[in-house]
Amino acid sequence: MKRPEQIVVGVGAGAAGFGDHERGGGPGMATQDMVLNIGPQHPATHGVLRLRLTLDGERIVACEPVVGYMHRGVEKLFEVRDYRQIIVLANRHDWLSAFSNELGVVLAVERMLGMEVPARAVWLRTLLAELNRVLNHLMFMGSYPIELGAITPMFYAFRERETIQAVMEELSGGRMHYMFNRVGGLKEDLPAGWLDRCGQAVTAVRSRLPQIEDLIFGNEIFQARTQNVGILSRELIDAYGVSGPISRASGVDFDLRRDEPYLAYDELVADGVMRLSLRAEGDCYARFGLLLDQVQVSLDIVEACLDRLRSLDRGPINVRLPKILKAPEGSTYAWTENPLGINGYYLVSRGEKTPWRMKLRSASFNNIAVLPEVLTGCVVADMVAILGSMFFVVGDIDK
Amino acid sequence: MSFPGKGLLKGLAVTMRTMTKRSVTAHYPDALPELPPRSRGVIALIEENCTVCMLCARECPAWCIYIDSHKDTIPATTEGGRDKSRNVLDRFAIDFSICMYCSICVEVCPFDALHWSPEFEYAELDIRELTHEKERLREWMWTVPAPAALDEGAEPAKEITTAQKAAERQGRPTP
Repeated sequence: MKRPEQIVVGVGAGAAGFGDHERGGGPGMATQDMVLNIGPQHPATHGVLRLRLTLDGERIVACEPVVGYMHRGVEKLFEVRDYRQIIVLANRHDWLSAFSNELGVVLAVERMLGMEVPARAVWLRTLLAELNRVLNHLMFMGSYPIELGAITPMFYAFRERETIQAVMEELSGGRMHYMFNRVGGLKEDLPAGWLDRCGQAVTAVRSRLPQIEDLIFGNEIFQARTQNVGILSRELIDAYGVSGPISRASGVDFDLRRDEPYLAYDELVADGVMRLSLRAEGDCYARFGLLLDQVQVSLDIVEACLDRLRSLDRGPINVRLPKILKAPEGSTYAWTENPLGINGYYLVSRGEKTPWRMKLRSASFNNIAVLPEVLTGCVVADMVAILGSMFFVVGDIDK
Repeated sequence: MSFPGKGLLKGLAVTMRTMTKRSVTAHYPDALPELPPRSRGVIALIEENCTVCMLCARECPAWCIYIDSHKDTIPATTEGGRDKSRNVLDRFAIDFSICMYCSICVEVCPFDALHWSPEFEYAELDIRELTHEKERLREWMWTVPAPAALDEGAEPAKEITTAQKAAERQGRPTP
């Protein structure tokens, strides 16, 4: 009787129905390889990411991320929607950074139209983009420890999120999908007293951030599981186009807010408010720690924007648009530094009210593409620690 | 000074301190949340304002607004005058199981027939019940809050400037 060369095991629902993996042990080998399916429905993948791991005992010898379970064909959908309707869809691919996603679309269209955006709108957009960054990072600062078995930080992170979401909801009416950007500015102006309430929210979050820091950053168990685990090298970052906090945790000195400033970031960089957070280690702990650094910087930027908005002259928040908005023929590429990395829209217009093509470059897709390189050679116990520290949103991978 | 377990103890100290403070959890069904006026909970309709221009249904990115109408003829009131025709709304329904809460319909409505209400308690056991017909949409209208006052640095609302200009044209004093 022929001995089976490979054992196939699934974890989580939907693991059935896969073929043989091309990598087998071979008749000459003493050990058997095991193919372990993580997902598509698995708590550690927060969404429907599926990883096919080939294991040699406890060690991962190969990893294949299987993406596309949540593919919605958003680029095709963009082609049959006008620019306001595109914002509705665009803010949903990365549901944790809705405002920044909207921003890329309107920046692209404004650039095509050569449109000047009022100063109030520019500063308010900068402020909201940074609040959005804080919300996004707080989410991961809560969810990452959960994946490593620490439940408590989630409650603290969500208390801060709730504080900021309250001001975001008061302004935009939405808690996640703000739908607040419009071509030429923002949908509505500030409600009276919002600047003060936003300032209070920022002060409150800043005063309570040390609690999150004390809770998890010094924790020996957390450190043991994350330090020197899943080190991402500069070569891999360059090869796979990894961006955002993950790349800066490996010492990559690149941030679009500084290197290709949009909105009011050039002034903020000149004033020294916008500082780049960098860490050199490139391990899970550095990636996680960088989120906290970035939150501090973002809160500084929000406060600077609040001051500026108070001192600005009375003025409009948006540009009055024609009934039918058509982008002139041509193409442009607008990229922004989203909370998770570089988010770009390549917009090609043939002068219609809908784009001819709108390519979406989302951060998570590239950031997750590097996983096989990082995971190979690690043990299964580190898999969740590394996967979680790549800070991805499945909707952003699958588009 | 550093000793093993210091980080763990620091974390526990945070938990201890928080334990003595009031809980921040809102006990939802017992305590209702205070929602801002801009909150997008449900769309309300003033039927009288609707002229069946179909803008909302056409602009909706999810095509979740259903409008049926017919034309009524109003007979001429004067001798030899022409009959007038008028659009009458038969059905106006929004399917909230499809709606993406993007606010485009409310924004495009030129006659202020659609408004946002922060009400959110309309979950149903049957998905078909989420299609609210015009009577139900009218009911939501009573829950629509007044818009929030704008910031000092903001331009006054479009409605106010238009009203002021109209008043100036007619030579009435403006407030």
